[in-house]
Amino acid sequence: MSTTLTRAIVTADKEGRPRLLGRRGPDTPTRHGLKVRNRRETATGYTFLLPWMIGFLGLTLGPMIYSLYLAFTKYNLFTEPEFIGLDNFVRMFTEDPQYIQSVQITLVYVLIGTPIKLAAALAVAMLLNYRDRGSTFFRSSFYAPSLIGASVSVAIVWRAMFSTDGPVDNTLSFFGIEIGGWVGNVALVLPMMILLAVWQFGAPMVIFLAGLKQVPRELYEAAEVDGAGPIRKFRSVTFPMLSSVIFFNLLLELINAFQVFASAYIISNGSGGPAGMTNFYTVYLYKRGFADLQMGYAAAMAWVLVIVVAIIAAILFKTQKSWVHYAGDNR
Amino acid sequence: MFNIRTRRAALAAAAVTASAALVLTGCSGGSEPAATYDPDEEVTLNLAFWGNDVRADLYDQAIAAFNEEYPNITVNSSFLGFPEFWEKRQTEAAGGGLPDVMQFDYSYLRQYSENGLLLDLEPYLGNIIDTEPLSEQILGIGVVNGETTGIPTSTNAWGMFTNPVLLEQAGVEDFAGGSWEDYNDWMAEVTEASGGEVYGGTDWTGRIQNFEIQQRAGGDDLFTDEGEPNFTEEDLAAFWEQGDSIREDGTVISQQELEEIYPVSGFDAAKTASELTWDNFGAGYLGNLGEGYTELGLIAPPVTEEGAKDLYLKPSMLHSIAATTDHPEAAATLVNFLVNSPEAGAIFGTNRGLPASETMLEGAELDPLGEQIRAYEESISDRLGDAPPVPIVGYGTLEEKFRQLGTELGFGTLTVDEAVSQFFSEMDVVLNQ
Repeated sequence: MSTTLTRAIVTADKEGRPRLLGRRGPDTPTRHGLKVRNRRETATGYTFLLPWMIGFLGLTLGPMIYSLYLAFTKYNLFTEPEFIGLDNFVRMFTEDPQYIQSVQITLVYVLIGTPIKLAAALAVAMLLNYRDRGSTFFRSSFYAPSLIGASVSVAIVWRAMFSTDGPVDNTLSFFGIEIGGWVGNVALVLPMMILLAVWQFGAPMVIFLAGLKQVPRELYEAAEVDGAGPIRKFRSVTFPMLSSVIFFNLLLELINAFQVFASAYIISNGSGGPAGMTNFYTVYLYKRGFADLQMGYAAAMAWVLVIVVAIIAAILFKTQKSWVHYAGDNR
Repeated sequence: MFNIRTRRAALAAAAVTASAALVLTGCSGGSEPAATYDPDEEVTLNLAFWGNDVRADLYDQAIAAFNEEYPNITVNSSFLGFPEFWEKRQTEAAGGGLPDVMQFDYSYLRQYSENGLLLDLEPYLGNIIDTEPLSEQILGIGVVNGETTGIPTSTNAWGMFTNPVLLEQAGVEDFAGGSWEDYNDWMAEVTEASGGEVYGGTDWTGRIQNFEIQQRAGGDDLFTDEGEPNFTEEDLAAFWEQGDSIREDGTVISQQELEEIYPVSGFDAAKTASELTWDNFGAGYLGNLGEGYTELGLIAPPVTEEGAKDLYLKPSMLHSIAATTDHPEAAATLVNFLVNSPEAGAIFGTNRGLPASETMLEGAELDPLGEQIRAYEESISDRLGDAPPVPIVGYGTLEEKFRQLGTELGFGTLTVDEAVSQFFSEMDVVLNQ
C-alpha cells in the first residue's frame, strides 16, 4: 500500500528535479513528494477537524476573547458594555472584602484538599496493588464516588449527613464529641467541603494504580536484596518511578479544585453561606454574573482565575525538572 | 471536568447573548394603538411564570377557561422556580426572545422597563384591559417613567405571622402590638417560657423591609424618586445595633440553626413562634409546617412611631407583555383575563396573593387564610402610606446583600460598622452599574 503510494509520488516528481541524496532508493519519496503528501494529509486532517474547529472558534475562543474585553467594561446584559479600564480589577483587590474572602477559602480548599486527596489516592492504590484477589471489586467501589461526586444527589446527601442530628453528628456524639452540625458551622463547613473532595479520590487512584503496575518488580527485588525496608522502598523506588504520574495527577487535581462549584452551590443552596464560607471563587463569580448581572466584573474574575491557574501550572512544570523522573530519561 | 464545562458554557452564553444585546438595543416601543383583538385570528402566545406544580395546574385551568372564550388563541405556558425564572429571562431579554406574556416581579420592573423590553400597555387600558375594577393606586404601581408596563395581579403588605400552636405550648399570649423593644421582650418571654425549645422569633434586623418601614416611619423611603439612597451610614448602624442584644442573649434562633434549614425559615420549621414577612406567605408556611398546624396569627409589625404611615401595599406579582411580541392585542386580552376575570379569581384564589382587581376578587372564594389576609390589609389601613418608588435597578442585589450581612452579624463574623461599610460600598457599585 505504502509502496504504491510512494511510487505514485515519485512519478509525480518527473520534472527533472535533481536528486540531492544519492543514497535514496527508488522507493523513497523525494523531499518535494513528501511536501505534497504532507500538504494533502494536512488538508484532509483539517477537513476532519473542521466541525470541531468551528465549535472551538465560535463557541469557545470567540467568547473567551470577547470576555477578555468584557473584563474591562461595566456590563449588565441589557445595555452596551461601557469601557471602564482597570476599575473591575481595582475593585476586586481593594474594595471587595467578599472577593478576598472568596480567594482565601478557595486557596485553603485547593492547598489543603488536593494534597490530602492525592495522598489518600496513592495510599489506597498501593493497598490495592498489594493483593490481587477482589481488587477489581475494591477498585470499582473506591472509584464510584468520583463518578457520582459532581452530582447533585451526593451534595444533598452530604448536607444531610453533616447536619445537626445527622449520621456524622450522632456518631461523634456517641464518642462524646459534641460539636453539632457542620453545615451551619462557620469553622467546620470548609473542612466538610474538603472531606467531600477527598472522598472522591477514585479518579487519581485509578491512575496511580495503573502507574504502580508499571513499576518493574525487579527494582523492588534489587532493593530488597540491598536490605531496603518498606519506607526506603517507597522513597527510592516507588516515588521516583511514579513521579510522572504524581505530577500528572497533581496538575489535574489542582486545576479541578480551583473550579469547585456544584457541590458548594448545592450544599449552601446557592447562598455561599454560612458567612460566606462556601462562597468559592466560581460560586462567587456565578453570583456576580448571573444573579447581580455584573457581567464585566464576573468576566474580570474569570480572567484572574485563568491567569492564576496558568501561573501555577507553569510553576509546576518548572519544578518538575527537580523531582519528576521519566522512564528512559537518563538525567 | 463538570466545572470546566459549566464555566465555559456560562462564559459562552454570556458572550453570545451579549452580541445579540447590541442588536436588540434601541429597537423597541412604537406599538400601534390598534386596540382590539380579532377573535377569528389564529394566534399562539407564550406564557411564562414562576411557581410550582400547584400553580402550574392552576394556570392550566385558567388557560382552559380562557380558551372557552377565545378558542383561537393557543397559549403555551412554561414555569420555573423564582431564581431560575429570572436567570432565564435575563438571557432571553439579552437575546430578544422574551415570552409574550410574563408573570412579573416588582423588583425587576424598572430594569426591564427602562431598557425598553416591556410593552407600554397604555393603548390597551380601558378597552382590552378593563381598568374599572383596578384602583388608581393599583394601576400606579405598574408605571415606570410614565409608561404602564405591568398590571398587578394581587397585592401584599408587610406583616407578622405568629404560630398559635407553639405559643400555646409555651403558655405565652400572642404579641399584643407595641414598639420594637416590646417585640424583643415578648420574643425573650417566649424563648424563656419554652425552655429554649422554641424561639420567640428571628433576628428581624436581617431584613431590609424592617429597615425600610422604620425609615418610612420617619417619613423617608429608602430611595428617592431619582433612585438616590435616602439614608445614612448612621441610620443603618443604628438599625443593626437594635439587634445586638437579641443576638447575643439567645432570644432569637441562632444563625447556625437557620443555616442548616435554609432555604426554609425558622418559622417554617416550627422553631420560631413569629416572623416578619409579606402577608401572602401564610399558605407556604402552613404547607411547610405540615400536619398539626392549621392556622396562623397575622398581626401588624411593631410600631416605630405612633400614627406614622410606615406600611404600604406592594404588588406580589404583575403581568407584563414583551415589547417584542407579534400579537400585542391577543397578549393584552390574555393579561386582562388573568388579571380581571372572576374565572381566574375562582381558579387562583389567593395563590398569587390577594387579588388586586375587584372583579377577580369577587370571583375568588377565599379560604380562611385568604379572608385573614383581607381582614389584615383592612386593619392596617391607617398605617398604609403611598408605595415607595418602583425599586431601583439592582435592588434585588442589595436585598440579598442585606440578608447576607445580617447572617454575618448573626455569626459574629462582622461588626456592625464593618457591615455598614460593606453595604454602602455594594450600593455604590449597584447604583453605578
